[in-house]
Amino acid sequence: MTMTPIAIPKRTQSARLENWSRAFYRFRQSWLSIVGLAIVVLLVVIAIFAPWIVPYPEHVVGGTNTAARFQAPSTDAWFGTNALGQDMFSLVLVGSQVSLFSGLAVVFIAIVVGTAVGAIAGYFGGWVDEVLMRITDLLLTIPSLILAMAVAAALGTGVWNMIIAISITWWPAYARLVRGEVIVKKEEQFVVAAHALGANWLRILGKHILPNIVSPIVIKASLDMGFAILTVASLGFVGIGVKPPTPEWGTLLSGARSYMPDYWWTAVAPGIAIFLAVLAFNLLGDGLRDVLDPKARR
Amino acid sequence: MLLYILRRLVLLVPILLGLTLLLFIVARILPGDPVGLAAGPNATPELIAQMKREFGLDQPLPLQYWNYLTGLVSGDWGMSVFTRRPVFADILEYLPATIELVFASLFIAVVAGIPLGLLTAVYKNGPLDYATRTLALGGIAMPRFFLGLLLQMAFAAWLDILPLSGRYPLIESPPDHVTGLYTIDALIAGDWSAFQIALSHLALPAIAMALSPLATIMRMMRSSTIEVLQQDYVMTERALGLSNRLILFKYVLKNAMTSTLTVIGLYVSWLLGGTVLVETVFDWPGLGLYATQAILTQDFMPVIGVTLVIAIIYLVAMLVVDLLYGVFNPKVRYA
Repeated sequence: MTMTPIAIPKRTQSARLENWSRAFYRFRQSWLSIVGLAIVVLLVVIAIFAPWIVPYPEHVVGGTNTAARFQAPSTDAWFGTNALGQDMFSLVLVGSQVSLFSGLAVVFIAIVVGTAVGAIAGYFGGWVDEVLMRITDLLLTIPSLILAMAVAAALGTGVWNMIIAISITWWPAYARLVRGEVIVKKEEQFVVAAHALGANWLRILGKHILPNIVSPIVIKASLDMGFAILTVASLGFVGIGVKPPTPEWGTLLSGARSYMPDYWWTAVAPGIAIFLAVLAFNLLGDGLRDVLDPKARR
Repeated sequence: MLLYILRRLVLLVPILLGLTLLLFIVARILPGDPVGLAAGPNATPELIAQMKREFGLDQPLPLQYWNYLTGLVSGDWGMSVFTRRPVFADILEYLPATIELVFASLFIAVVAGIPLGLLTAVYKNGPLDYATRTLALGGIAMPRFFLGLLLQMAFAAWLDILPLSGRYPLIESPPDHVTGLYTIDALIAGDWSAFQIALSHLALPAIAMALSPLATIMRMMRSSTIEVLQQDYVMTERALGLSNRLILFKYVLKNAMTSTLTVIGLYVSWLLGGTVLVETVFDWPGLGLYATQAILTQDFMPVIGVTLVIAIIYLVAMLVVDLLYGVFNPKVRYA
């Protein structure tokens, strides 16, 4: 008796690789997402290598050159020079460090705190849920920029103080999101099964529920990055947050205000930098949403 | 309906109580010494102790909170350590400027955003659609303060057709105080030139604030109109031979409005909180400038007061939005 061989379709790729290539295919469908990704990659590269590639590294750490004040953009100084004779191109390039790092840190802290609060509220329900969600709702009614400004001003200047201040206003939105997802997921069969096998709540939340709600969090985080960068720049603009000589886009823009419109380049360079960074992260976020949540696509 | 409004208003009380408690705790946990800042570097310990007594800061915290709460109800919102004036009087003085700015920008955003959203949905993928979608992408990413600076540069400095900043020329007296909104007051007084002056000052800050809500409202309106246009009843109406215009304005618009309304309501709070930036750029004497100054001097009573006012306006705006749902969708019942 001979066995007839069963025809198994040949796979050239593993399943996981296939998923990735399908995701990348969907991402590629919109050229705007590609543009966003390209600018974000460029920004990250600039932020990492800025101190070594800028033409005037001494200006970035506070050095001045008052003989060359307010030079218009030229081949020497691409974006011109400011009131202290510092090269705007160097300042704007290094300014990407504070913006990207604080934006990332704010979103990261907000995800950690918001997920913890939302998961616990959604999983336990009852009075735990009531108390945590009422606090969350209260924070959501407070104008976030004013609260962030007040906290940052009270904590004093410094990148970390600014990050903490913004994060305080940022986590409630994640708590709401995660709570809603957890409430849906905890009724699923696999959670009931894990329960029946005697898993404790920490294991159920960490191993079974949270891995299943990663994509809405990632979508929100990527759409939030641009907004976080914008908020960091806003705090800098009103004079709270990072203090010179550390270059920061919002602070640079605020310093340029008094010299408008004659020395317009001192404002235009950091302004466009903020605009481009926010735009790039928004485009990337839209692209990631298309990949992770195809139903939301219009 | 009236009962529903009353119940919602009563529900505001615990929310506001919680809010004051939260703000009070935040204000007291934070480091910072407003009295020390206000008294100056040469103040003696006696002077600081006396000032603390004056502002009631020497009492235990729960008592301070209780005093603050009872004061709130009677219109005593505490004293500003910096301006040495009652916070409530300060807020009343600065609030109209902010209200005028917020509603002017909301007006621009709604009046331009809703028709543009409708048009782009009807002529989907046409040139207008691409143009406005590009504008919307840029509009959301554009920092308000940078846009404000660019507008100042273009219209005030180079073209010189609009004033650079401020709310009214300092050498002239604004129209008689009725509402505190200069444009409205000028109209009430029938003073056409005062109206023009007030409007010319209002134009640039209002546009700077309107771009982002305009872009969002347009996107929201576009997507919800596209969704409604695919409904069966629209096809039935088409089959019955109704004109496109009638279908669009009588049936589609109303149904597409509900989700856009939510966005508009949320923007009231976003705009109120965001006036800080635009008011700084344009030296607009509103709540945002007042709050910024209070924050920079760590003067927390005004900060709590401003936050409370904005929160109340936001909560009322959400109530109005909920009531408007019923206007656009009779299926919504208030019980």
